[in-house]
Amino acid sequence: MTVLWSMLASASLAFALLHLFIWAKGIQPWANLSFAIAAIALAVITAMELIAMRTTSIEQMALILRWVHLPILVLWLAIICFVRCYFDAGRSWLAWLTVGLRAVALILSFSTGQNLFFYRITGLKQVAVWGGETISIAQGPLNPWYVVGPLSTVVLAAFVLDAAFTLWRGETKTGRRRAIVFSSSITFFLLTATGHTALVNAGVINSPYIVGFSFLPIFLAMSYELSCDQLHSLQLSQQLKESETELRLSKQRMRVAARSAELRLWEWDIVRDEICSTDDDQILYGIAEPQKISFDSFLNNLYEEDHERVKLLVEKSLIKGNGHYESEFRIKMPDGQIHWFNSRGRIEFNEDDQPLRMLGVTIDITRRKQAELAVQQQRNELTHLSRVTTLGELSGSLAHELNQPLAAILSNAQAAQRFLARGNTDLAEIQDILKDIVSEDKRAVEVIQRLRLLLKKGEVQHLPVNLNKVVEEVLKIVNSDLMNHNITVNLDLDQKLPAVIGDRVQLQQVLLNLIMNACEAMSHTHAGRRRLFVRTEANGVDKALVSVGDQGPGIPSESLESIFEPFFTTKLQGMGLGLPICRTIVTAHGGQLWATNNTPSGAVFHFKLPTSPGESA
Amino acid sequence: MNESAPTVLVIDDDPSVLKSLARLLRSIEVNVATFASPQEFLDQFEPVIHGCLVLDIAMPNFNGLELQQELAARGNELPVIFLTGHGDIPMSVQAMKQGAIDFLTKPVHDQDLIEAIHAAIETNRMNRRAHDELNEILNKLSLLTPREREVLEHVVSGRLNKQIAADLGTVEKTIKVHRAHLMTKLKVRSLADLVRLAERAGIMSIASNRNDCQT
Repeated sequence: MTVLWSMLASASLAFALLHLFIWAKGIQPWANLSFAIAAIALAVITAMELIAMRTTSIEQMALILRWVHLPILVLWLAIICFVRCYFDAGRSWLAWLTVGLRAVALILSFSTGQNLFFYRITGLKQVAVWGGETISIAQGPLNPWYVVGPLSTVVLAAFVLDAAFTLWRGETKTGRRRAIVFSSSITFFLLTATGHTALVNAGVINSPYIVGFSFLPIFLAMSYELSCDQLHSLQLSQQLKESETELRLSKQRMRVAARSAELRLWEWDIVRDEICSTDDDQILYGIAEPQKISFDSFLNNLYEEDHERVKLLVEKSLIKGNGHYESEFRIKMPDGQIHWFNSRGRIEFNEDDQPLRMLGVTIDITRRKQAELAVQQQRNELTHLSRVTTLGELSGSLAHELNQPLAAILSNAQAAQRFLARGNTDLAEIQDILKDIVSEDKRAVEVIQRLRLLLKKGEVQHLPVNLNKVVEEVLKIVNSDLMNHNITVNLDLDQKLPAVIGDRVQLQQVLLNLIMNACEAMSHTHAGRRRLFVRTEANGVDKALVSVGDQGPGIPSESLESIFEPFFTTKLQGMGLGLPICRTIVTAHGGQLWATNNTPSGAVFHFKLPTSPGESA
Repeated sequence: MNESAPTVLVIDDDPSVLKSLARLLRSIEVNVATFASPQEFLDQFEPVIHGCLVLDIAMPNFNGLELQQELAARGNELPVIFLTGHGDIPMSVQAMKQGAIDFLTKPVHDQDLIEAIHAAIETNRMNRRAHDELNEILNKLSLLTPREREVLEHVVSGRLNKQIAADLGTVEKTIKVHRAHLMTKLKVRSLADLVRLAERAGIMSIASNRNDCQT
């Protein structure tokens, strides 16, 4: 007996210490603390029971039975506290009621009779129990207030059951298990302990108080739950460690990948307006200090021309429902060099669709841009060269174009000289002559300007171009060539044709090439049938179509596509670059160039260009 | 000159050039007529006009060389001066072969043009004079009777009256009469004049051929 009770008390103390320790570590502190207190209270109760069993003096027994209500109150408080903290359930009025009853019991234990159990202990009955040991059991009339104790127990049981019910309804698997384990064990304890004590006190059964023992299932249940929790947290911490390792690895992998791709990862905290590199070792945009910059200072670092564009793109991306940002811009690096960057990002929004932060990558595309520029430059040079070559082929006709006004000027001037030399000069005639000289001079200048424009090696322009005007200008250039070849022109220009955006010179070049090809294709056509068709028309809502047709032999159907390949030529002196260059130009304008055969004879070249909205021709 | 003043006919499809050329020619007091195209010229063409043509070689539809051919086909001998923007050798060769007076490149210098025009007008005048003379001869020849013409052919072949009489089966006296008549009709005084006239009229060859056959 003594051994069992001592073991129970020490076990309770050990539990108490263990949970105190856990409480000190700060894991579920309130639950653990209340459990530890309950365990201590239980240890005290067990110890008191042991002393009561072994006492031989009535006074001592009475004293123990009076004082035992104090640890019981503590136990009550601890259980309530535990249920509230651990289950986060239980009605507070029930809690207050049971605590109140228990406090009343404690007061009554001191104020009425010898204690709450007995009004007066008349004697000690010596009872032999298992193991041959003899224990003392108090005897005497019961205290009439005794009922307060069991009442508080019932209320406490109600409180626990109510809490368990709430937990059960929570419908989580662990919740339900806990609800069953705790409610059943606590209720079992309360009812057994109180019932048994009442029976012992009433002298119905002769056994020692087993309050401590009946608390054992609760202990086991609580320990099981708490251990489960501990185990669970251990597992979690293991998982956490694994995920941390994984995270670290993936961060490293990301860093390696980003570095080998020369990517810079960055983050823009939109709320605080801080842009920083997410990789500490990497410098963003060559900005060494400070590492965190605001959006405005980022913009100020940009090349001036890119300033507005990037700002607009970013603002657009911040609008709800978009969330994606991409732009290319230049930054003047601290060493004075201008670098090109491509930057893209994704925006995170909060519930109110307010942008929170943008995560993104930036890549230095300077080399690619330089290569692109070099290719562009080469293409421009090739285009220019081809233009010069084309004009070279036209030189005879162009000389004629220029000769006409010069011839007129010379004859006019010499006529004037002769009129003047003759004496009686008609001043009106001289005036007329001078007027003609001026207008012819202008005509010559126009020819030269047209040529100079075509020969010029300039930047590619992106301006509204009226295709009808381009057609007319090109026809002026080839006019005498057409005449020499006895070619009649059928012109069908759509006067409502919208303008296209592009480079006038390059578009002239395309038409010039197509028209000259058409002329050449008709060199074996009967002189009376040499007709050149040039037609412009709107195609759909946003396209302009230009067609150049001839009356030549047409193109073999298998060559309709290969004529656009470089070095494909049917001419004796051609390089085979005219049409490929035309196609490159048209494609660069966002259009298409293709060839078809006309019925009954001849080929037609068509090119389609996107028109610019709002710009009418 | 017993005829009206010569006219220079200028044809160029470029109105400004046409106008300036006309001005230049008027400044040297030459009559000018301008045409914007060969077709326009042909539509208004008067064969009696005399002077010369100034033709731009490169014109749409109907170029200068073609007009030159067309005129030749119509038997018109107006001398042609070609103007061209760029001196193209095959073209100039063809033009000269077809009898062009000159082939000038634009812009044309006034002196060159004036000289060419003078030369062309002179050629035209010569041509016309030769033409007139021939017409006169042919008129005179048409006055002859067939017998007289026959006698003429024999005379210019260098045959004696006696031989002619034998050939034609008549007497020498008759031949003498015919001969005197035709000398009067043709207004020639000597045998040498008669031979020259017959030569210009193209009679000589026929007779001489026959003569050759006979010998």
